[in-house]
Amino acid sequence: MSPSLQTALAAHRFGLGEPDLAVVGPDPLAWLQAQIGPADPQQGEALASTAEAMRARAETARKAARQGVAIPDAAAMAAHAKARAEMSPGKKKDDPNRVDAAAREAQRDIAAQDVYARLLTASQTRRPFAERLALFWINHFSVSGQAAKVRGLVGAFERDAIRPHIAGKFQDLLRASTLHPAMLRYLDNQRSVGPHSRAAMRQPAGDKKPKATGLNENLAREVLELHTLGAESSRPGSNGQVAYAQADVTEFARVLTGWTTADRADASTPVAFEPNRHEPGDKHLLGKTYPAGQQALDMVLHDLSLHPATAHFLATKLARHFVADDPPPALVSRLATAYLDSQGELPAMYQALLASPQAWQPQLVKLKTPEEFAISSARMLRLDQRWLQPARDGQVSVMGQVLHEPPSPAGWPDKAEDWLGPDALWKRIEWSTGLVTRFGTAQDARLLARDGMGPLLSAETGQQLARAADGAQALSLLLMSPEFQRR
Amino acid sequence: MTSLDSPPSFSRRTLLRAAGAGALLGAASTLALAGPGQPGGPRLAFVILRGGLDGLYAVPPIGDPAFASARGPLAEYASAPLPLQGVFALHPALTELHGMYQRNEAAVLHAVGLSYHERSHFDAQQVLESGGTQPYQLKDGWLGRALQADARKGLAMNTAVPLVLRGSRNIDTWAPSRLPDPSDDLLQRLSRMYGDDAALAGALQRARGLREGPEGDAMASDMAGGKAVAAFPALCTRAAEFLAQDQGPQVAVLEIEGWDSHADQAAPKGRLSANLRQLDAGLAALRAGLTAPAAKDAWRRTVVMVATEFGRTVEVNGTRGTDHGTGAASFLLGGAVRGGRVIADWPGLSPAQRFEGRDLKVTVDIRAPMKALLGDHLKISSTVIEREVFPGSPAIKPWDGLLSA
Repeated sequence: MSPSLQTALAAHRFGLGEPDLAVVGPDPLAWLQAQIGPADPQQGEALASTAEAMRARAETARKAARQGVAIPDAAAMAAHAKARAEMSPGKKKDDPNRVDAAAREAQRDIAAQDVYARLLTASQTRRPFAERLALFWINHFSVSGQAAKVRGLVGAFERDAIRPHIAGKFQDLLRASTLHPAMLRYLDNQRSVGPHSRAAMRQPAGDKKPKATGLNENLAREVLELHTLGAESSRPGSNGQVAYAQADVTEFARVLTGWTTADRADASTPVAFEPNRHEPGDKHLLGKTYPAGQQALDMVLHDLSLHPATAHFLATKLARHFVADDPPPALVSRLATAYLDSQGELPAMYQALLASPQAWQPQLVKLKTPEEFAISSARMLRLDQRWLQPARDGQVSVMGQVLHEPPSPAGWPDKAEDWLGPDALWKRIEWSTGLVTRFGTAQDARLLARDGMGPLLSAETGQQLARAADGAQALSLLLMSPEFQRR
Repeated sequence: MTSLDSPPSFSRRTLLRAAGAGALLGAASTLALAGPGQPGGPRLAFVILRGGLDGLYAVPPIGDPAFASARGPLAEYASAPLPLQGVFALHPALTELHGMYQRNEAAVLHAVGLSYHERSHFDAQQVLESGGTQPYQLKDGWLGRALQADARKGLAMNTAVPLVLRGSRNIDTWAPSRLPDPSDDLLQRLSRMYGDDAALAGALQRARGLREGPEGDAMASDMAGGKAVAAFPALCTRAAEFLAQDQGPQVAVLEIEGWDSHADQAAPKGRLSANLRQLDAGLAALRAGLTAPAAKDAWRRTVVMVATEFGRTVEVNGTRGTDHGTGAASFLLGGAVRGGRVIADWPGLSPAQRFEGRDLKVTVDIRAPMKALLGDHLKISSTVIEREVFPGSPAIKPWDGLLSA
């Protein structure tokens, strides 16, 4: 493979795109390997730590409770804002759903600032491979800020649970994610209590609303199905065996009981283990026995991390993200083996990926998601933070991806068929022509194509650029070209 | 009646012309007001047509003996072209412009162009806007440098400042808040680019199918140029409002893209026809805005120049359109213009008379009328024009007699 093709693939497939391939230097592989490590701290001002985000939530909750109203989720807030816009001033004052404006604003602002930081960091980073891996894991451990229970916490989750742990043992990443308040709240471990725990036994009599009813399996199921073993391993494989079944989910839910977030504004740590809520007794899952108490979770997470099904699942997702919607089995196998051989070290899997010929195939196959497209466009045009003003998400939502609000715990899909409808493409065209109109008119698409795309630029696209009616159109054509829409 | 004690800022040439034309007192008092530093002074609007307007189609030289054979199917029009001076006529869609011509408010320039003849959009637009002799020789715009030297304000009717206005610190921008739809031209080019990518091609095709207007719908055909072009008249109205203000910008720049008519350019409901209609409506809107009572006679102090980066091939190509050419047509209109004429050193259309056997020749560098506008209309000194605005162009003499008074 010619050095410059490898350089271009390093920049665009493994990185987030570059306006000048020279930044990769003479050894693209070394350039990527040097980036394996924790993700950089995010850029952006006033980014809330987990503790700060929890405090802001607690404030809002207190004020809302005083007013006797519920904190609305994103959809309700949007609908409410719309309704308020049509209200007369008199009615507005009496609006029963009026949550304290300042508190509401604070939460919305945290959420917007988190999206801004995510996009700004990705568009400016000089360690784009690490950044891409961070975005991959953030999507793997998806939490959605749409629900009120998670609003304002997603950025803190990314910063505190995911980004520092992308290049160590998978177990550490898994633990940080599972025990972050955003995840505990998103998947309802808040409300889960052991049916035989002291808290459950203390249920008030009569028709008073029970505080805790029993087990909630949501977190347990998603950890097994989406974060570790993978849903496929719950279906009989070629040997007729399954990695886990319903009983394992329930048992795991019992292990998880007691882990809860402290929503009180004066709590010292965001997450704590409350023995009163923990289901007593041993738990039996994955063919092993785990003791009662808070140590059990770490033991289970350890065993899950080193399970062959987990290795296979993680390898599949990683290969799908970088190489192809249906990744080659040989590649998946190689990544899984490297992972297990290293006892669950993520860098071993990354190195195996970089060493695989399939990962370096010259043909650009993977379609960029709207977020990737936006980030790589901002990098190609060397934009500063102004592309994230006034809409702090850079209008990525227009293209169908509301950042921090993925549709399900499974995160954003990673297959072209999920992103390539006619309207989706139209929206990309509108978005890119808008971006070019605002920021791009001084730039020469032909130079960007030559320096940034290098050998990835097809003859057809090069011709189209040369024949464009004007500079702005050429830039739009470059951003919408097949070689830029894919990586 | 000329007065020999007119303000010293007026050139002797202006006085002589006024004397020769037997200027009325009214004209003299207008002149007295139009010095630099005075509010409500001269106004210039520069309209850039991006893509290469086919000047032979917009201003057909129907009386030229070679016209019909040279242009073939492009010599035919759905209705009769509107007569101008000599062999020339105007595309039937340009009715408002023709009206101005008949009122001596519009002049048509033909076979004008750049000193650059390589037919690249990028490079030609760079030359048109920078005022250089070769592409990238000058990095900012001729109007920008003129405004900088003159310490006057410019206004770009767009979200970003086009090259022609760069070089001045005193440039505003104004654009309607809605972004324009992707143009049909862009979509067609994307379609070609997606030739080998079945998934993208399919999605694009479906997207376009979902958005096509019904056949025979005039609205849809005006939308053939995209919402940006349909919005041009409204943009012109807005520009006129700005220009009419006492403390308003001295120069406004507007742009229309989509003139690159490689295919089916004569289609009555196609892109080029829609663009010409919208251009005509826009120029009328400028005039209407500047002749409104609130504008206080601004039209009389205004020149609008419409220019494009190059013309197109004399002969039709294989897709009933034209390819990039050289010599172009341009328009000058406004109350300050001495109109009602076609200004051209006409080279002819026979193959021997064409540039490289294919294009209309350039017989006059477009900087000649530009220099005249800067000097006679905006009252910028010739020293500044030659040294700063159009450096390195001593052979190009500013045209005389462009203005009406």
